[in-house]
Amino acid sequence: MADRTTGTGELTYARVFDAPRELVFRCMLEPEHLTHFWGPAGVSTPLETIKVDARPGGVFETVMVNDSDGSRYPTRAVYVEIVEPERIVWTEPDSGVTTTSTFRDLGGERTELQIRQANAPAGYRSPEARAGFATSLDRFAAYLEKLGGSR
Amino acid sequence: MTVAEDRLDATFTALADPTRRAIVARLARGDATVNELAAPFDMTLPGISKHLKVLERCGLISRTRRAQFRPCHLEGDVLDAALSWIEENRRVWKERFDKLDEHLRDLQRAPSQRRKGTTDG
Repeated sequence: MADRTTGTGELTYARVFDAPRELVFRCMLEPEHLTHFWGPAGVSTPLETIKVDARPGGVFETVMVNDSDGSRYPTRAVYVEIVEPERIVWTEPDSGVTTTSTFRDLGGERTELQIRQANAPAGYRSPEARAGFATSLDRFAAYLEKLGGSR
Repeated sequence: MTVAEDRLDATFTALADPTRRAIVARLARGDATVNELAAPFDMTLPGISKHLKVLERCGLISRTRRAQFRPCHLEGDVLDAALSWIEENRRVWKERFDKLDEHLRDLQRAPSQRRKGTTDG
């Protein structure tokens, strides 16, 4: 593979849910659903802190609150693309990270949700750069973990 | 953008290439000379040197000045910074997925709430 110094890595996470695609899609877009799962373990995202303006250029903002000490982590993103019920793309202006959620109907009321995170404000947008990133860095991370404390 | 974020960007850029990942994986097992690093690849020494320069620029590897063969050394702290960023992201999404899974189960157990899901919000 050619040297791709213009681009950066991309992380991919996927999970299959026992639910119809349209419902999983709405969960990722509607504050009434997001409040149930947006904060990771030990962190809540109160409904009143979630702002969703579901259109390209619209804001997606949340405040995650640490359950134990009350510290607040605001997040700020802007929607780039919303294709119901297939895809949601937002970008975080502060970090330049672009997150793409893809919803795949597996049949039998099962849906695969794939999250791709690209950390490439400049080089990423060209099709050539995109083509180069079939790799996912998290697999590399897992591999290095297997190598263990040898480094 | 902070210095730390700049370095993180550079680290991810460096790691976005399979040859450089292979070099890093090799160095994770111990220091090696350019010749040793080049051996598994169908690549010229200048080709390998280019990759090493990219890795050196972001601080992932260092080369000692004094030894004759200038062995390459993996800087674990720089790699750790990149890996912990990845780990943190992975953890957040894993936990979100876990909670979403639970939420979807709740929604589907109570079909009356399925339309909006507002009653327990």
